[in-house]
Amino acid sequence: MTKEERLKKRHRAEKRFRFYGLTSIFVALLFVIILVQNIFSKGSSAFKKTVISTEVFFDQELLEIQNGASQEEIMEADFYDIMIENLIKAYPAKDRDEEDELLKLFSGDAEIEIKKAFLNDNNLIGQTITLDLTASDDIDQLHKGNYPRDLPEERRRISDFQLVIYDYFVENKKISKNFNNYFFNNGDSRDPELAGIGGALVGSFYSILICLLLAFPVAVLASIYLEEFAPKNKITDFIEININNLAAVPSIVYGLLALQILLATIQLPRSTPLVAGITLALMTLPRIIIPCRASLKAVPPSIREGALAVGASKFQSVFHHVVPLALPGTLSGTIIGLAQALGETAPLILIGMVAFVVDIPSSPVDPSSSLPVQVYLWSESAERGFVEKTSATIMMLLSFLIVMNFIAVYLRQKFEKRWN
Amino acid sequence: MSNIKIKSKNLNVYYGDKQALFDVNLDLNEKEVTALIGPSGCGKSTFIRCINRMNDVIDICKVTGNIEMDGMNINDKDLDVVSLRERVGMVFQKPNPFPKSIYDNISYGPKIHGKGETKSELDQIVENSLKKSALWEEVKDRLDEPGTSLSGGQQQRLCIARAISVNPEVILMDEPCSALDPIATAKIEELIDELKKTYTIVIVTHSMAQAVRVSQKTGFFHLGKLIEVGKTEKIFKNPDNKMTQDYITGRFG
Repeated sequence: MTKEERLKKRHRAEKRFRFYGLTSIFVALLFVIILVQNIFSKGSSAFKKTVISTEVFFDQELLEIQNGASQEEIMEADFYDIMIENLIKAYPAKDRDEEDELLKLFSGDAEIEIKKAFLNDNNLIGQTITLDLTASDDIDQLHKGNYPRDLPEERRRISDFQLVIYDYFVENKKISKNFNNYFFNNGDSRDPELAGIGGALVGSFYSILICLLLAFPVAVLASIYLEEFAPKNKITDFIEININNLAAVPSIVYGLLALQILLATIQLPRSTPLVAGITLALMTLPRIIIPCRASLKAVPPSIREGALAVGASKFQSVFHHVVPLALPGTLSGTIIGLAQALGETAPLILIGMVAFVVDIPSSPVDPSSSLPVQVYLWSESAERGFVEKTSATIMMLLSFLIVMNFIAVYLRQKFEKRWN
Repeated sequence: MSNIKIKSKNLNVYYGDKQALFDVNLDLNEKEVTALIGPSGCGKSTFIRCINRMNDVIDICKVTGNIEMDGMNINDKDLDVVSLRERVGMVFQKPNPFPKSIYDNISYGPKIHGKGETKSELDQIVENSLKKSALWEEVKDRLDEPGTSLSGGQQQRLCIARAISVNPEVILMDEPCSALDPIATAKIEELIDELKKTYTIVIVTHSMAQAVRVSQKTGFFHLGKLIEVGKTEKIFKNPDNKMTQDYITGRFG
């Protein structure tokens, strides 16, 4: 082979490699785009809800309370009759059957929504106001265009008559889309239009908080001890190997461990953020120790020697110089560990967080859900409304993860000191 | 004429199975510069790291024999290394300022030893240390800037200022100029000349010329043994040992 031929061959190899590299990046990007596009197109409509603006007349005869009633009185009062009387006037129905079909277009919370309006202003008796009442899931999906109306009636959840009412509402501009506060404030529900991630958000928050409080101090102290103080011998090596092994243990194993020890033996309450937090802390511990030790190791020995040489004790050299320098790396490692814990589903399913919880937990020992488990739960539901809610929950989860990772990168770049 | 400040008797150092120093007997005179020369790996640095017990950092290092400062046994297991290092400062081969401000670099030592209770006392210590290390004029307006932003030579003088900030009796210098250019080196040498009025200085160097310029006494190490020690003039003009002669004339090393 001549020199020119060899040279050509080398250039060809380089070009080939560039092509392979670009292709793989392109394929990876394509997958990401497909995923994000899919989630967005399905999920973005969940942030809006369909409302039917309805005139509500507060008839004294149908209410057993007076104007100026106290909050407790209103809470106890029955608003059912008021609701029925007003809702059936929303469309000129001819008989009982038609009225029943009309009522099904409103959400199961219509009574509560009317009660809330009265709670805001307790002098409404004898007056008529216009309220935006949440529509049922079927109308919601129909109005968002997620529901094909050209199917034969027996294959539709909405009857022909209900379609007539819907068209009447549209014609009279009584139907519109509002910001979906229920999605953020409510707990889980059997009715998709009322279901929200409020409970899951609070549950995830408590779980991650407990995970942070348990895992961070233990991981940091363990790393500092192992890296700076522990004698270098076989036992230390053994511990190091096992920490690395623990980081690779499938998360479901931690769930089994928690099931046996925390729930069966110690008998902590099931389905609670407390147990979830402890389980996630166990899982996250080695995942924080590894980056933490790496950032301690990255501090050059000359800094330690410099401190020791002016008479600092070992403890002072570590805590005055090494730890502050390792802190950015430690913090970003912790945040990334927590981000992983936030998205963890399998161990939480094992400790019972997969239960159907309507109430928003008020403390870490209340039964609760969490964001990834909520995704899992809703993805199994048949109703169309839950499809968009599943995707919207994934969007929320992903945005939390992106924010956390962004903070981690920011901390590392901003506070990482350079030495030469 | 001079008092002996540090005296080593049959000092042996082992790194695991490997012996690094063999029966070193070396006296260092007070307020004098002693230069240690010899080829790489001959034990010069190991020797000076015995004086402030820096070898303690290395797990496998074992030191036997005697090394005394003013009659106090440095190698005593019960000795508090913190107070020893307050009396014996050290400057390293590569400048290693803390990644903190110039001010904090100097004030750290006094602070941990409880010197300079008030801010004004600390300010005074910082100013004096920087003046003694001939850095004050260059940095007095930017004490808040990071120590790492200085040039290599300035960083090394900052490290010298850091060492003298706790007012030690002895300063160990482990090839302090090996990472510096000739101009910065000249400045450090000038500084050493000035510092020897106050401190006992031991300097490890690979430069014969430097040893001649700054030291009064020179020790030549080879393969862990102290081959010859004496007045610098004598060592470089008329050494007793053939090996010393060969090394200083550049025939090996």
